[in-house]
Amino acid sequence: MAPLLQLDSITKSFDAVRALKHVSFDLQPGEVHALLGENGAGKSTLIKIISGAHQPDDGSLTILGKPVRHFTPATARRLGVACIYQQPALFPDLTVTENVALRLEPASGFRRVDWSTRRIRAAEMLRQLGADINVDAEIRGLSMPEQQLVEIACAFGSGARILLMDEPTASLTQTEQVLLFAAVRALRDRGAGVIYISHRLEEIFALADRVTVLRDGESVGTSAVSEVTESSLIQQMVGRALTQTSPPPAGKPGARKLSLQGLGCAASGVRKVSLDLHAGEIVGLAGLVGAGRTELAQTLFGITPADSGVILLQGERIEIGSPAQAVAHGIALLPEDRRRHGIVLEMSVAANISMACHRRLFPRAWLRPAAERSLALGFMRDLSVRAAGPEAPASSLSGGNQQKVALARWLATKPEVLLLDEPTQGVDVGAKAEIHKLIRALAGAGMAVLLISSDLPEILGMSHRIAVMRGGSIVRVLPGNSTAQEVMSAALGQPLAPDRL
Amino acid sequence: MTRYFREISVTLALAALLLALAVVAPSFYQAQPLLSLVAREAPTLVVTCGMALVLICRQIDISVGSQFSVCSVVVGLLTSLHWPLGLLVPAAILLGAALGALNGALVAGLGLPSIVVTLATMVTWREGLRWLREGLWVDLPRDTQWFGLSQTVGQWTLVGLSLMILALLALAMRHLAAGRFVYAVGSDVEAARLAGIRPRWITFAVFVLTGAFTALAACMNVAQSPQVDPNSGAGLELKAIAAAVVGGVAISGGRGNLWGALAGLLLLACVGPALTHLHVEAYWEKATHGAVILLAVVADGWRNRKLDLR
Amino acid sequence: MSFLPSDSSLPNPSMKTPRRSVLSRHETVLLIILAVEWWFFSAGGRNFNTLDNNFDIIRHSVEIGLLALAMTAVILTGGIDLSVGSLLGLCAVLFGALWRDARLPIGWAAALTLLAGVLAGGFNALLIAGLRLPPLIVTLATFSLFRGLAEAITHGMDTYTHFPETFQFLGQERWAGLPAQFPIFLVFTAGIWVLIHRTTFGRSFRAIGFSAEGARYAGIPVERRLAMVYVLAGLTAALAAIIYTARLGQAKADAGTGYELFAITAVVLGGTSIFGGSGSVVGTLLGVTAIAVLNNGLVHMRQPREVAGMLTGLLLLIALSGSVLLKRLATLRQRWQSFPKPTPRISTL
Repeated sequence: MAPLLQLDSITKSFDAVRALKHVSFDLQPGEVHALLGENGAGKSTLIKIISGAHQPDDGSLTILGKPVRHFTPATARRLGVACIYQQPALFPDLTVTENVALRLEPASGFRRVDWSTRRIRAAEMLRQLGADINVDAEIRGLSMPEQQLVEIACAFGSGARILLMDEPTASLTQTEQVLLFAAVRALRDRGAGVIYISHRLEEIFALADRVTVLRDGESVGTSAVSEVTESSLIQQMVGRALTQTSPPPAGKPGARKLSLQGLGCAASGVRKVSLDLHAGEIVGLAGLVGAGRTELAQTLFGITPADSGVILLQGERIEIGSPAQAVAHGIALLPEDRRRHGIVLEMSVAANISMACHRRLFPRAWLRPAAERSLALGFMRDLSVRAAGPEAPASSLSGGNQQKVALARWLATKPEVLLLDEPTQGVDVGAKAEIHKLIRALAGAGMAVLLISSDLPEILGMSHRIAVMRGGSIVRVLPGNSTAQEVMSAALGQPLAPDRL
Repeated sequence: MTRYFREISVTLALAALLLALAVVAPSFYQAQPLLSLVAREAPTLVVTCGMALVLICRQIDISVGSQFSVCSVVVGLLTSLHWPLGLLVPAAILLGAALGALNGALVAGLGLPSIVVTLATMVTWREGLRWLREGLWVDLPRDTQWFGLSQTVGQWTLVGLSLMILALLALAMRHLAAGRFVYAVGSDVEAARLAGIRPRWITFAVFVLTGAFTALAACMNVAQSPQVDPNSGAGLELKAIAAAVVGGVAISGGRGNLWGALAGLLLLACVGPALTHLHVEAYWEKATHGAVILLAVVADGWRNRKLDLR
Repeated sequence: MSFLPSDSSLPNPSMKTPRRSVLSRHETVLLIILAVEWWFFSAGGRNFNTLDNNFDIIRHSVEIGLLALAMTAVILTGGIDLSVGSLLGLCAVLFGALWRDARLPIGWAAALTLLAGVLAGGFNALLIAGLRLPPLIVTLATFSLFRGLAEAITHGMDTYTHFPETFQFLGQERWAGLPAQFPIFLVFTAGIWVLIHRTTFGRSFRAIGFSAEGARYAGIPVERRLAMVYVLAGLTAALAAIIYTARLGQAKADAGTGYELFAITAVVLGGTSIFGGSGSVVGTLLGVTAIAVLNNGLVHMRQPREVAGMLTGLLLLIALSGSVLLKRLATLRQRWQSFPKPTPRISTL
């Protein structure tokens, strides 16, 4: 039987980073093919190539036996590729019926709308997926999983036979997961192929027919799910020789600076987090996508303020209701989304660097261009930021340099507590080492650092302790000299059984 | 069906107001003045239809008042030149559509914010008209008022006409695919594009339609009196926006329908006379419109916040 | 420490300060337009290029100039305030009522009027910054509300006149050789310029205009800054109302009608982006001057007032379209360097 999708020896690089190296992959009709790998192993790049968002540098892509060139998202949709992301592309003010209809019906405007047919068809499609959703409900009023089901129905209904699902169960409850699985099985039974990315091994064993493991941009192997065990999968995911690229952290942590007790935020999913950060300590926050690490950082920084629990700073209870308050308390956050939150693209490097420390740098609210310039030049030198000058707009810098500017902004505030969310994402190896050195120096000078990273070697090499999150809370706190397997197991929710590894 | 909560509540409020008037100021319910009131609001209703369309598409058009004035004067002048109705109305519609097309081209074609574009066209048409006409009213030939019919029949005709236009547009917006596209574009432009809809054309068409409706309303306005007031469109855009917004059409686009706008218009139209009968001065009318729009917007904002925080 | 070649951001990573000219390219164009206007009207109308007339231009443009300056700050944050003209009318009427009916001394009446402007601006701020409602529709509603209140107070017809001579001096006479209201305008302009170009407040306005979320993540108190600009707009409208009353010697409910259009046009003409983030006070001043000279020149060519209004509307459209078209041209040029094609947006409310 001809595969729905065939990728041969796909290679893709971004600047000097090789995201995929000669990856081959195929999807048969009527199967659920899981894609497994650490964060940064190349899964999202592969997905983007399949959906047409990126073009491979080398290798070939074949859909239903026909090779495809100049693969754009529009072409992909036409050839039957559909992406089910966590944010469905639905119309929030319109009903389920209408959402399904608008996706399925042709785009010509001058025809009559048959509402009864529309309703029947939408209801039928949802029923086939096993979903019990009122077709007259507005999308805005539906829960996220319900919206996902509608999105799946739309995609399948409009002829998509290759469905890409990226962490679809990240925020679902048990019962909602069951519904989603039923929908996926229904799709499979109708001949579609589903590429299913998830970190939850139990899901893969429950749902998938085959599983491919990616590691460092390469495919480690494709096997039938019946032929593997959890431990063999984990071994494949992390099994490289872990040479420490950085020396283990020196120095002993000092007094307790920040103490979180039972911290929770219903809106963002943070659940009863308790953690202490000490002066001079680097605490790594590990976990998989959707575990709640960024949400915890955002709660600590006041973006989504906590509604339960206590935050103690130097022993005193504080409220953090907004980022401005967090900064006033000496807490800094380097956000994950650099382009939207880390910097303001249209403003200059110098303006970006000074943006969080107006109070200190510009007393009485008076701008001092010379002081700002020298501050910027200092950081540009220390972090080796390559730009035409401090006046250059941040948009003219490469991604790595933009990240350095974002970091410089927070270093300029001389914080007590530094929250770093993926600080070396998109940064080249040389700059990465510089940033690590800098973080260590900051910790050495007494700062408390929370390091969120999906890069296991980074976390293992930098942290005094590693807190592992899963499902919005901290499930385990490991010592800094733990192994990658231990961290990954904790992140996956596996019980620690060293003899099995 | 909580989906139509706003429309239902506006209708209930209207019913309550009418009931209260029946008790407190029964003189409100006299056949001829009431008919005159409704007939006077008929052109506004037609403009409100166009405005609702624009708002649902997530745009705004504050130039409809000036378009109305311009079209009224042109229709008046053509009437005094004894143009037959069969030529007059299409010519007016063409003019209105052209005015709307200019707005549409700038908003859809160049991506300019509709508020600023229509602010500019509003002033340009208004001042241009004032300049050319020097404030003169247009005197109409004697037999042209009420389409040559008697006043009562003429008024009923206008009311019927406006309701028919409303019904037709409401039908199109519900049962014509293009009508649904307007909702789609107003709800989420990106999703619309993904679904194969062309948002720029839809937006352009919406402004053109609004212009055409305004021209129609201008014809209905001219038919009502022996003269044409070049200032007759003043404040019309605010009335139309207020009626639509009160009737449940959301500023954020993608929701609302014309029946709610009708209820909203009637509600606002009754507020004026109600105030008069309660011996409150008519000068509070503008302030009332502003307050009403604010209340509706706050209510909508609060509702959206509750839903989005789930 | 070696840098990998992937870090190629720009051709010449020199660290020298680039030479900045005093005026941006847009402002230079505007100056040229002004010069052309001036030449045109001097040739076409008598009495144009006289001292008396120049002072007249200044007198007429002070009120619009004040509104335009405040509007610059609002538009910098990515917002808009359509209610300033109506608020001017309301404040003028309040001022008259306080003086004539409440028999307050003129100084107290002025002070309370300024307070009223602050409160009205605060009302806008409450809805926009506090309740996070779109500034467009809020100020459209208050545009109607404020004018309506003005009409209600005056019962649609009342006019407040017979203000004391010392007060009218402010609007009609000269002081140290210049129109009396000019020093106030100068002080205000200096203040706004400092606020926008020399303080952290102005910096945060820009940041908010470019990216409100990005500004929030940088610890900027976004809601407080937004409230500031709308309150400032309210205060400015009140100040303009007082000067307006002094100039005309009377206060009516229709004072300031259409001024919001002039203000917005001046701001956009001056190069401030309607989408927020970039703009300058100097540009706005040039825009105000261009409009004032246009209005005045047309009067001298015996053109009726309406022509000025029409041309202002057209000017606004041309200015807006021009900047978008220029940007499109620049993007087209960029496309040669195989960047991804930007989807032309449809601007929404």
